[in-house]
Amino acid sequence: MKQTMTKALSNPLALCGFLIIATILLLALFAPLIAPYDPNAINVKAILLSPSSAHYMGTDGLGRDVWSRMLYGARISLLVGIVAVGIATLIGVVLGALAGFYRGWVDIFIMRMVDVMLSIPTFFLILAVIAFLTPSIWNIMIVIGLTSWMGVTRLVRAEFLSLRNREFVMASQTLGARDFRLIFTHLLPNSLTPVIVSSVLGVASAVLVESGLSFLGLGVQAPQASWGNILTDGKEYIQFAWWLSLFPGLAILITVLGYNLLGEGLRDVFDPRSSKTNL
Amino acid sequence: MSKYLLKRLFWMVPLLVGISLISFLIMHLAPGDITTTEAGFNPKTSQESRQKLREMYNLDKPLLVQYGMWLKRMSTLDFGRSFASHQRPVFWQVTDDKGNVTKGMIQEALPITLLINILSLSLILVVALPLGVVSALTQNRLPDRTITLFVFIGFAIPGFWLALILMYWTGVMHNWLPISGMHSLGYENLGTWGQFVDFMKHLLLPVLISALSGLAGISLFVRNGMLDVLHQDFITTARAKGLPESQVVFRHALRNALLPLITILGLAIPGLIGGSVIAESIFAIPGMGKLFYDAVLMRDFPVIMGILTIGSALTLLGNLIADLAYAWADPRVRRGVMQ
Repeated sequence: MKQTMTKALSNPLALCGFLIIATILLLALFAPLIAPYDPNAINVKAILLSPSSAHYMGTDGLGRDVWSRMLYGARISLLVGIVAVGIATLIGVVLGALAGFYRGWVDIFIMRMVDVMLSIPTFFLILAVIAFLTPSIWNIMIVIGLTSWMGVTRLVRAEFLSLRNREFVMASQTLGARDFRLIFTHLLPNSLTPVIVSSVLGVASAVLVESGLSFLGLGVQAPQASWGNILTDGKEYIQFAWWLSLFPGLAILITVLGYNLLGEGLRDVFDPRSSKTNL
Repeated sequence: MSKYLLKRLFWMVPLLVGISLISFLIMHLAPGDITTTEAGFNPKTSQESRQKLREMYNLDKPLLVQYGMWLKRMSTLDFGRSFASHQRPVFWQVTDDKGNVTKGMIQEALPITLLINILSLSLILVVALPLGVVSALTQNRLPDRTITLFVFIGFAIPGFWLALILMYWTGVMHNWLPISGMHSLGYENLGTWGQFVDFMKHLLLPVLISALSGLAGISLFVRNGMLDVLHQDFITTARAKGLPESQVVFRHALRNALLPLITILGLAIPGLIGGSVIAESIFAIPGMGKLFYDAVLMRDFPVIMGILTIGSALTLLGNLIADLAYAWADPRVRRGVMQ
């Protein structure tokens, strides 16, 4: 494990992505200490100020400090991304393991479920669910999680199918190991590497989906700050307050880029055969 | 081939049932009854239309019966009428007793979204194919690294943000392009060519935005596919027998690398349809995405259900076409299909 970590961090792509994510994580974690202002404090004397030493990223239409709001927004983006992918990975691993281990009708049933989910346009599905529930950060995490487990299911199933007939698994089975033991001590640990890669890449798309939803006004609700809804506010002032649109967009871009770099870098480390992506 | 087609059509049945089941369950997500205001239902709807809705969806009957009846209505493509937009039919036009025709909402929105998607798919292919090939041929050298850098940025850039920036830059700052809608004022007075140019100017940014992530994805896909093929034995053979490099690349390698692209394009359809929500609502294009977004904001329930179902059916159709095209393009698959 330690060896893999060292190897992973010696890959320039992965290292670069890791540093980006770690920085954002720290900023988000210590947001209350770093933020110079209360992110929701309205100040009518400081409306739409351009970036300065008092307000690093300027202020918005209600005089709130954009840098402080960005820091708190980072918490939302990271939390939504990680929890949503956590849910998706959990569902995907369980269903994939069941399909790959038991095969037969269990496999057919689960894979048809995957096909069904893949044929419903995901963003429509998310919006439809949000329309019937109230848009809140928890609902968003759950909905994104429930609509993005299909890739992991396929990966885990494929790994299980190929590992199932390997000698060490057969040996353990012959020695009388139960299904539970076979799955958890032999098959699962050996099929996790592609899952890690796809989860890291999954966080990137979850961050994009959350910011898109918030931008459309169906995600994180005001006054709580999210990069997406800071941008929505900024849209109104784009002609005379460029900072309101520039910074949240850049933050999303850099975060998503970070996860993608980390994911692709880890893929290179875990699967040297496919080491093709080089920057 | 027809046997394969039949088999594929047969497999679509359980998928359609699954899709309808999920759509059906979503409408029962709302707290209470979907017709109550507590459920966030459009408060403007009258008591009468709520009653109609209850009858239409048989909300007084057991869940399973409700589902059966809903399925029956779906199979005749009857999606009911919109609550918000003057009771317009959701899917297709209807003629009333006096012979007046009211156009369906999806009927009007779908062609626009299809046009934008076809244009952006074409753009993706025209740009991403050469990029991927160049990237593969210059592996790890400057052109490849530059292209890969752009691919990573293309993946990471939020489409709605780029849309805002481009809209501001080309529309507000320089006045090069219109910023929203499909036609300019005075569109009727332009000649045919003028109308075409005006229309294309309006579509340029939306098409560009919806093509963005596809551009990145497909060029990376073509690059990796080309690299895989270029390392195979038959390419070495082709080179060994002295074929010119251009022939090796374009006739032997590219044709094989392009095959999986057919499947990928088929799989990209739900993403493109879903992605139309953001592009269309920013640029105020009256397509499926905008229609859906407005319906969500107004809790216009029949429209939401209708678009969800039609969107999924289109995806299934797209995948079917992709599979058939694959079988048609690849003799090996065609052979396997026949047997």
